[in-house]
Amino acid sequence: MTTDRVTTDRVTTETKVELSINGRRHVVGVEPRHTLGDVLREQLGLTGTHLGCEHGVCGACTVLVDGEPTRSCLVFAVQMDQTEITTIEGLAAADGTLHPVQEAFSACHGLQCGFCTPGFVLTAVHLLATNPAPDRATIRRELSGNLCRCTGYVGIISAVERAAVERAAVERAAVERAVTNAAAVAASAADEPSSPRH
Amino acid sequence: MVASLDQSTTTAGPIGTSPRRKEDHRLLTGRGRFVSDLQLPRMRHVAFVRSTYAHARIVSIDCNELDPIDHPVFTALSPGFEVGLFAQSALPGYVETEQPPLARGKTRFAGEAIAAVVADDRYQAEDAAEGVVVDYEPLPVTVRAWDEPQHPVHDAALDNVLLARTFSAGDVDAALAAAAVVVRREVVTNRHGGNPMEGRAGVALWEGSARDGHLTFWSGTQIPHLVRNLLAELLELPESNVRVIAPDVGGGFGTKAVLYPEDLALCLMARSLPGTPLKWVEDRAEHLAAATAARDHRYELEAGFDAEGHLVGIRGEAWCNVGAYSVYPWTAGIEALMAGGLLTGPYKVENYRCSVRGVATNTAPSGPYRGVARPATVYAMECLLDSGARALGMDSIDIRRVNLIGPDDVPYRLPTRLIDDTGHYAECLDACIERLGLDELRAEQARRRAEGGKPIGIGLACYNELTGLGRAASAGPRMPFRTGHEACTVRINPDGKVVVLSGVTSQGQGLETTLAQVVAEAVGVNYDDVEVRYGDTDQSLWGFGAFSSRQAVIAGGAANLAAVDVRESALRLAAELYEASPDDLRLENGSFYVAGSPEAVGTLADAARVAYLESNRLPPGFEPGLDATRFYDPVMGAFAAGVQVAAIELDPSTGEITILRWVCVEDAGRVVHPQIVDGQIAGSLAQGIGGAQYEHLVYDDEGNLRTGTLLDYLMPTSAEIPEFEIGHIERPADNPLGVRGVGEGGTLGPAAVLASAVADAVGIDIDQLPLTPERLWLALEDQR
Ligand code: FES
Ligand code: FES
Repeated sequence: MTTDRVTTDRVTTETKVELSINGRRHVVGVEPRHTLGDVLREQLGLTGTHLGCEHGVCGACTVLVDGEPTRSCLVFAVQMDQTEITTIEGLAAADGTLHPVQEAFSACHGLQCGFCTPGFVLTAVHLLATNPAPDRATIRRELSGNLCRCTGYVGIISAVERAAVERAAVERAAVERAVTNAAAVAASAADEPSSPRH
Repeated sequence: MVASLDQSTTTAGPIGTSPRRKEDHRLLTGRGRFVSDLQLPRMRHVAFVRSTYAHARIVSIDCNELDPIDHPVFTALSPGFEVGLFAQSALPGYVETEQPPLARGKTRFAGEAIAAVVADDRYQAEDAAEGVVVDYEPLPVTVRAWDEPQHPVHDAALDNVLLARTFSAGDVDAALAAAAVVVRREVVTNRHGGNPMEGRAGVALWEGSARDGHLTFWSGTQIPHLVRNLLAELLELPESNVRVIAPDVGGGFGTKAVLYPEDLALCLMARSLPGTPLKWVEDRAEHLAAATAARDHRYELEAGFDAEGHLVGIRGEAWCNVGAYSVYPWTAGIEALMAGGLLTGPYKVENYRCSVRGVATNTAPSGPYRGVARPATVYAMECLLDSGARALGMDSIDIRRVNLIGPDDVPYRLPTRLIDDTGHYAECLDACIERLGLDELRAEQARRRAEGGKPIGIGLACYNELTGLGRAASAGPRMPFRTGHEACTVRINPDGKVVVLSGVTSQGQGLETTLAQVVAEAVGVNYDDVEVRYGDTDQSLWGFGAFSSRQAVIAGGAANLAAVDVRESALRLAAELYEASPDDLRLENGSFYVAGSPEAVGTLADAARVAYLESNRLPPGFEPGLDATRFYDPVMGAFAAGVQVAAIELDPSTGEITILRWVCVEDAGRVVHPQIVDGQIAGSLAQGIGGAQYEHLVYDDEGNLRTGTLLDYLMPTSAEIPEFEIGHIERPADNPLGVRGVGEGGTLGPAAVLASAVADAVGIDIDQLPLTPERLWLALEDQR
């Protein structure tokens, strides 16, 4: 009596969505019920996004959607049409050089098993983009939407603090370089013979 | 702050430094490989149908709605599902019971797997699971281990007691009769669990015929060789036809040191569907409902003290909730035996009697969780000491001091016959108190008492962590295997690089890094030139895996022995090749040096090339190749001393606790990678605090789990966990590396510390955990 049997040929409506992921354009056919997390992992092979609870509490599945931290287990892929998504795979340089936040996580032992790490790193990237110099208490508050079972958080907080400090140092150095260069340009301009060119 | 957490270096990485972890790059860039990441051709997906009743006869299972080709359904009646898991122990007083792969005849807890359904993806598998209709006939339910049993969970144990044992030494009745004071405490601890961020997952692939096939099982297990051993037995396969692979694993904490019925079911299903890889990835609700939990205990204890505060005897009883099944392979005794065996902790006492029971109930099975029973026993023990101090009018720190096992007492034989080899507790305590700045805090406490303000309390706990249990120390549970040893192979490849094949596993503890450091130092090569592989039963010879804080001690010990052997072979070969005396040669950073000369005479790569490719140049008597495999068993265990001290502030209007300071000093022996060791301590402290204040698997009287999502089961976040101040006293243990395990100690203190801090602040005895604001507020109301 096959008529009353449920089979896999349920009528499924596939929708095409266009996503820009880590700078690359993808057009994927998804069912309305497919979460972004599952589409990233299963269809696009971007398994760096981890699912820790699938009900919106742990933050492991966090990706950046148009720059905003988003729980990929809580949004459907169809909602994401025409968005720009950054996953953990999109942070390091092509040659493997780590993003400063990733680098700081490694230096400060901000990860043990690494399962929560993608969500923490992306949340931290967003935090530093919006608040370049958070203190430890602020970092603790801002990251309290993500769960880590391994580290006791100490290394994670230190990592974000360190990434902020290093970023500030890099920026300071860049400013200083610019100032020095400007001064040099000005000085060499002063040395130039005053005869007009052309 | 943890000083060493900030000091990662990228230098050579000898023991005692913190080189960059080998695991980090792949995990940070999303290129880790977890079981749930695995995609194989023709893979299909499995969902389990789980019991909605805590205790019920299964009248029928109807899956007529499902097409058997598209959605094969498996139940206890499916061919091959007659087998089951029998956790064995030869201890008298142990009742052996069976855990079937899928509930057979009746279901014993809400969440137990009754049927399994296959589909093309996980969404469809979950849909199909809803097409399975189970008809139940409910049975009376027992939820608490110390309640009158309603209906036997297993027919073999009508009183539900699966294990009973009395630990006894000296004459405790006489000692208590003669004591200056006797205090009595009754404490109940809260069920919670490891709850790793990656849940359980498995992929099973059967290739070949049902009788003589090959099974590959990818699993997040902490114990791959034990899993292989049992799967081979149950599936009647030669052990060499079974391969278990544990790739990157997202935390374990004991929860994954278990062979689960779902694992077995998945492999049995794979045998029925040869050539089709079957994948199961649990969700968090399944994890909370059906993975093992722990620490659901009750203690009734009495302690006698003499007038100076010396403990003269401890007497009592303990009940440990086993849940519905005796956990494989550790048995229903896992918590009860640890509770009775280590209750007295680091304190000297000769007269002792404690009766422990492991009792079956209609709740999810309990199993190993970081610290096994001791977070509860340390809490119970420290409660006794606090009560004793109060009864004698003594300072709570002083009473601990007079009872701690000291360096002059070791080796100290505990009343349960375990041998404590450390005795450095007072040193840890002194270091904690100095770091905390006790006098200042006491002054502030007094000021607030006099002038008003939120009360401050100082709490402490002293504990011993039994780590790296060798064959003698692991004998207690009388299981049909002894977990004392571990194998390791160290191989120099023809290019001079080193590969380490270890039998342990890692779920975040950084074993790839730690073992590379041990081997690099012992062989004489650079850390970067060592690659460590584990978690694949086809690669390493044998290992029991990761539990009981044994990896650094035992796997580290085996790696060291194998590495030393390989270095010696290499030196002997080099001595012949370079015409030097082996005693004058040394191997450093991958090059050979002759004593007195700064110039290298050759490299390990040259020698390795000869060893593998140019047998014509091998000296007579030399076999080709450069590798060694060694086992290591420390026979005894290494106790690690630890003390935690904290200052808290209470808000009497809400019952909320704010942790002001948390200091932990442990004797981890010789520290291999300071950053990793401190990370282990910080992580275990956070788990201890979570268990003490927030995490609670609550069952109602019908056996329904009421905290079945992370919205109700509260895990601590960075907003709740304080900064930790971690210190070490490094007293090398009596093993080749001098190391002690550090994985669990942190979890042992927090419940005791917080309860003792509350007692210190407001004189309230906390007898039930978790220590929630509500509980504290009600107690303060009673006091007002
Ligand atoms: S998996 Fe999305 S929040 Fe946990
Ligand atoms: S590193 Fe394991 S959960 Fe955070």
